[in-house]
Amino acid sequence: MPGALELSEETREHMAELQGLSEKAEAGDPEARKELRRLVRTSSPEIIGRASDIARRAEWMLIKTISADEPLMEEAVEARMQHMRAEIAGENPTPLEVLLTERIVACWMLVELFDMLMAAQLNKDNERRTSISYTLKMLKWQESANRRYFAAIRELARVRKLEAGTPAVQFKTQVNILRG
Amino acid sequence: MTLERRDKNLYYYRSVRDGEKVRKVYVGAGELACISHEGDILRKTEREAQREKQRAELERLDALAAPVEELSEAAEVLARAHLIAAGYHRHKGEYRRARSA
Repeated sequence: MPGALELSEETREHMAELQGLSEKAEAGDPEARKELRRLVRTSSPEIIGRASDIARRAEWMLIKTISADEPLMEEAVEARMQHMRAEIAGENPTPLEVLLTERIVACWMLVELFDMLMAAQLNKDNERRTSISYTLKMLKWQESANRRYFAAIRELARVRKLEAGTPAVQFKTQVNILRG
Repeated sequence: MTLERRDKNLYYYRSVRDGEKVRKVYVGAGELACISHEGDILRKTEREAQREKQRAELERLDALAAPVEELSEAAEVLARAHLIAAGYHRHKGEYRRARSA
């Protein structure tokens, strides 16, 4: 049984199906492209809904960690996130754009967290510095979070650029951008 | 590290790694042996506690990063499916409109 921060087995199956069909369609199979269009239409709302749910929970956990449970800091981080979300998603975003925006915001928070932890590690006045292996592991995560963050930005820019005009596949789903 | 008793006397030795081999180094006898031994045990316990704390911290960070990875994967799969369904294909990492679409 998946946890609250994992995609369900069913969603994973749909994702695997989308991946398989995308590969076949890219290889030039017209039937696969047709089937992919159908599947994108039917399974996108579910995948977006579930992934957005995970994003919200993950962001909440990250807010709690970054703010160290200080209510004022918590509010400030949350406000910053909402501002980012609204700014990146823009007006009338498509559901896919909303998901990609959530991804950027979550990745940004992870980058912030690792930057903060690394800064504390490298601070020469910090008496609670940890072992070099711990620092190296943290550095690896920091690099990976940065890579993922830039990839997320690139992906949204690409989708916007290529889907400019009328999207080929349309579906309806509602994802709320602003909380509270 | 070993505390050895011989002829009613206590002797304390530390194990020191020297390349491939481990050498037994004499530290002291009597009172000094006891103090050194207890000091070493204390330091070892502290090191283990520190390691445990770091392990728990890494686990906590892993738990924070995992859902973001999950979200990233879902977003990537979906974005790609959308673009390909809309008639694009990848060419050397760039998306182009497929002629057959």
